[in-house]
Order: sequence, then structure tokens, then C-alpha cells
Amino acid sequence: MDFEFSVIVESIPALLAGAKLTWIITVLGISGGMVFGILAGLGRIAGTESLGEKPHGIFMPISSLIRYISSGYVETVRGTPIIVQAMFLYFAFPMLVKAVTDIERFRIEALTAAVITIILNAGAYIAEIVRGSVVSVNKGLLEAGMSLGISRFQLIVHVIGPIAFRRMIPPLGNQFIISLKDTSLFIVIGVGELTRQGQEIMASNFRALEIWLAVAVMYLIMTTVLAMSLRHLERRMKIF
Amino acid sequence: MSSIIELKKVCKSFGNTEVLHNVDLSIQEGEVVVIIGPSGSGKSTLLRCINCLEMITSGELIVDDIRIPAEQGRIRQIRLEVGMVFQQFNLFPHMTALENVAFGPRKARKMSKAEATDIARNLLDKVGLAEFENKLPGQLSGGQQQRVAIARALAVSPKVLLFDEPTSALDPEMIGEVLDVMKSIAKDSGMTMVVVTHEMGFAAQVGNRLIFMDDGRIVEEGKPGEVMKNPHSERLKDFLGHVKHH
Ligand SMILES: Nc1ncnc2c1ncn2[C@@H]1O[C@H](COP(=O)(O)OP(=O)(O)OP(=O)(O)O)[C@@H](O)[C@H]1O
Ligand SMILES: [Mg+2]
Repeated sequence: MDFEFSVIVESIPALLAGAKLTWIITVLGISGGMVFGILAGLGRIAGTESLGEKPHGIFMPISSLIRYISSGYVETVRGTPIIVQAMFLYFAFPMLVKAVTDIERFRIEALTAAVITIILNAGAYIAEIVRGSVVSVNKGLLEAGMSLGISRFQLIVHVIGPIAFRRMIPPLGNQFIISLKDTSLFIVIGVGELTRQGQEIMASNFRALEIWLAVAVMYLIMTTVLAMSLRHLERRMKIF
Repeated sequence: MSSIIELKKVCKSFGNTEVLHNVDLSIQEGEVVVIIGPSGSGKSTLLRCINCLEMITSGELIVDDIRIPAEQGRIRQIRLEVGMVFQQFNLFPHMTALENVAFGPRKARKMSKAEATDIARNLLDKVGLAEFENKLPGQLSGGQQQRVAIARALAVSPKVLLFDEPTSALDPEMIGEVLDVMKSIAKDSGMTMVVVTHEMGFAAQVGNRLIFMDDGRIVEEGKPGEVMKNPHSERLKDFLGHVKHH
């Protein structure tokens, strides 16, 4: 077996470009995923006692509707493979748009499709993390706050939110790492992320060992950075 | 004398089980009412209804001149006037003792941070915890936590304080310090208090009225000393026999 270290050195610029793209997709994806996740996670428990009192009057059907929409989103995403979601967004969705509207030249950039896929996908899993953490907060705290005459909104912001957030950090770290690795699937829609860069170099020089080793190490570095920053955040918040 | 809490034929059901049956009760301003009764008799449910943590199923409930059910804004108004102390303390675990106490004045009474902190310091001092203001609940003993919880309830200056078995979760040696704080509130401030407890000594010493509940009904009531000395119903005799042996 011959191992040519120079092969790795030569491929580094291209791999770094890929890693940069992977990182960009991940950061945009999980940032958007956090927004979707928080909305859908709270949406799934809208109007339940986990967020205070049961609603009355017209808020009852509204909160039911919010729950159904959020659950529909989460279950759809969790029930389909991410690669199918990416393909759908990139290939099928523009056709769908063409079929139902008059817009002829509708297209989604591969990179955009990748980011949206991660946003939607991570968002669904983060929603479950958010829901689980919020539901796990002792209901007595909410009652204590309400019995002081404090509004539900204030209690969600100042009591439930911080406590739930602290509990979310470990599972969020997990999800962030999964999302980062999921970006390698975008090789199928032609995004020049790290895995695809590796694949292309490999196809031209057939140095599988060196290239995939280098690719793996780069992923490992990125996931380690993610894990360490969350660990840091967790330690800073571990005061109770 | 005007009554600050008035219940007329109040019923409360959870699903198909009725846990309060036609409860009539009128509590005057400044009164200290002690409620006793076996487990499951509806004592907590009664307090929770008064504080609108549960909605009554039928009957009339008037708290501080506000008729319940009422819209959300008025319910918050009631809760500002009616504080509650829980068996499990329920302190906010991520806030220091001082922040716990200052939180209510700040968010419910919309005070400035300085004003709220001032009030909180005074109250912590009053419950004997001045030097613990920067401790988190997890760093305090059960008795200390409950005293912080009492200070927190007092901080929004309510007219009524409800206590739901405030000493039941405490080790025996800490019960006294909490009861002492409650006694001083009753004596000094003339606060209206409704206390669910099995501490008969407290009932006799501080209570103006003792209520015995069983199976969702008020079975007996009267001056604590008299009720304890001459229980009429078999159930109360039985119950007092059990409590004394603890
Ligand atoms: N949220 C609820 N849902 C259904 N049933 C409930 C609920 N809360 C209380 N109950 C029932 O109502 C009855 C009265 O309960 P409650 O907690 O008021 O009794 P209690 O007198 O406070 O008892 P304890 O001394 O054990 O605290 C019990 O049978 C209880 O099971
Ligand atoms: Mg109870």
C-alpha cells in the first residue's frame, strides 16, 4: 500500500473550498432551523397547560389549528428521507411551480435548495427538542409565577424559556452535528460541498485512501468545533 | 365586615368526578382560616379555585369583589391580590433568592429594578434570610426555600395569602422556622390567610377559624380550640386521632 502525503497537500485548497461551503450551509441551515424549530415546537404545544392555561373562546380553535400545522410539518419531515426532500425541492418543486402558475423560468439554485432543506429538516427535529424541553419544565413554576399575577408571556420569556433552553443544549448539539453531516447528501443535487469536492478529486486521481481520509478529518474538525462551542455554552449556563 | 372571599354552592369536577360539592365559605378580611382534612378531600383544589389555577364548575365565587369566571385581565388582578405558597416551594431555579422575590414586583407590579430589589431585600430580611440573597434555590435548605417562597408571595403586596401544606415537604427540624414566619405575618400585618396544614399547634395558636373538609365538603368549622376539643362528627374525631399521633 502506498500512501502519498503530497496528494493530500495538493487537494487541500479544493477540499477547503468544499469545507467552507459545507460550513456555510450548516450555519445558515441550523440558524433557520432554530427559528422553525422554536416556532413549530411551541406550536405543537400551543394552548396546552405546558404554556400556561388552556385558552378560551376563539383562541381554542386557533391554537388547535396551530398545533395541527406544526405537527403536520414535523411529521412530514421526520417521515421522509432528507435526500428525498432535497431532490423534491431541487427537481420537483420548480416543476410543481410551473404547473400551477405561469412562471416559466422558476429555478432554485442547488445551494439555496441545500440550505432550505437543512432549515426544514433541522427545524422539524429541533421542534421536538424544544417541545420536549418545555414540557419537562416543572408546571409548578408556571403556577407560582401566575399566582404572583405575572403574565404568561413574561413567564415564558423569563422562566420557562431559560430553563428549557438550558435543557435543550445537549440534544441541540447532537442535531447540529447531524445536520452538518447531512450536508454531504447534497452531492446528489450537485452542491460543491466537501464530500463532492472529495469525490471529484478522487475521480481524477483515484487516490481514495488519501482523499477520503482528508475529507473525514475535515468533517471531524468541523463537528468538533460545533460540539465544543455547545459544551462551552452549556458550562456557562450550568448554574442551577 | 366585608368578606374578601365568598363561595356559594361551589362545585368543581375533574372530568366526571366531582371533588368539591356545594362548598359555602365566606372569609373576612384579616381572618386566618386553617383547613384540615384527609388526603384527597379537596383542600388543594379549593385553594387553587380561589386563586383561579382551577376554574369552578358551578356555583358562585367572588374574590376581592371580582366574580369568577372573569376575563384574563381580571384574573391577573385577583392573583395580584391573592398570593399562594406551595408545598413544593416552586422557586425559580435559575434565579437567586433576591431575584426570585424581586421578580413579582418587577413584572406584575411593573416596578423599577431598584424599587423591586429594595422590597425584596426588606422581605428577605423579614424572613431571616438577608445573608442568603445571592444563593440559588438549589443551595438552600427546604426551610430556607420555603421562607424565600413566602417572601416572594408577599412581595407583590397581596391582600390574601393561600398556603397549601407549606411544611409538609420539610424535615421536622425546619418546620418551626417556617411556621414562625407565618405566625409573624398573621400577627404583624393582619394579612388574610387561608392555610391548609396539619400543624394543629399552629391552628390553635394563630387560626381564627378551623375548617374540617372531607370528601369535597366542609364538614365542621368553628373556633380552632373548640373544634379540636369537641369534634362532632366521627370523621373529625378519627382524623384528629390520626394527626395527634404524628
Ligand atoms: N388535575 C386533576 N385532575 C383530576 N383529578 C384531580 C386533579 N386534581 C385533583 N384531583 C382529584 O381531586 C381530589 C381532591 O384532590 P386535592 O388535591 O384537592 O386533595 P387534598 O385534600 O389537597 O389532598 P392532599 O392532602 O393529598 O393534598 C382527589 O381525588 C384528586 O385525585
Ligand atoms: Mg393537597
